[in-house]
Amino acid sequence: MDPQTFFKEIPSWTPDKIREFLGNKDHTSYNLVDVRQPAEYEQGHLPGARLIPLGDLSSRINELDRAKPTIVY
Amino acid sequence: MLIDAGLKDVIGMEGGILAWKGLVASGPPEAGMAYFPQEERSEKLIALAWALEEGSRRFYAGVAGKTQDRDAVALFQGLVSAEEQHKSTLLKLFHEIAHDAYASKSPEALVPDRPAGEIMEGGMRVDEALAWTAGKNIADILDLSIALESNAFDLYMKMERAAGEEHSKQVFHALSEEERQHLNRMTLLIEKRA
Repeated sequence: MDPQTFFKEIPSWTPDKIREFLGNKDHTSYNLVDVRQPAEYEQGHLPGARLIPLGDLSSRINELDRAKPTIVY
Repeated sequence: MLIDAGLKDVIGMEGGILAWKGLVASGPPEAGMAYFPQEERSEKLIALAWALEEGSRRFYAGVAGKTQDRDAVALFQGLVSAEEQHKSTLLKLFHEIAHDAYASKSPEALVPDRPAGEIMEGGMRVDEALAWTAGKNIADILDLSIALESNAFDLYMKMERAAGEEHSKQVFHALSEEERQHLNRMTLLIEKRA
């Protein structure tokens, strides 16, 4: 899947707004998903982010809690 | 795809990770945790955390003795105490949930490839990190400490997800919140120095 196709379907926030959102929230109150490749994730990721590469999303979607907001990058 | 799958409030990040200026952790997705057998996963997670906490304790004790900055010394000494408390919490949990075969052992016995105190979160060797701090100013040392705590924060959130039973999840959750507080204290000191 083309990442641009994936992201143009969803609203986006600035990094500052995401940092404010994550702020002091309990990390179990949201899903935080890194859709890049494992090597990119290893180099650096947002603390607590779950790695689900784009190509695996459809098969691993059940790892996410549908009732919670989902931040994806 | 996420919205089609029924997730609500899906939000992307403008500019992706390259635009992110906040905390960053490094290392593989589950830091080897996924390879722990399910039936002994909680014990091994606790043992790994215990060994890494000792690494962090050694690091903070080392840097506390190398700086004349009173605020920084107070911060690092506080972190030494916090890591000791984390070790005690983890050791108590280990003995509460360990299978009979492990109950009489030190947590270290379960992670022989991670000798207690040699490695910190993120895989950094304590001796190398301490050697790196020689001659560095307090801002540089705080930057390294924030990287260390970001990895600890990241690791405990992952351990909470990976733990097999509820009590361990609760302990890892509490520890992740404490690591977040450590990060806040470091950030405040950096802002005070800026």
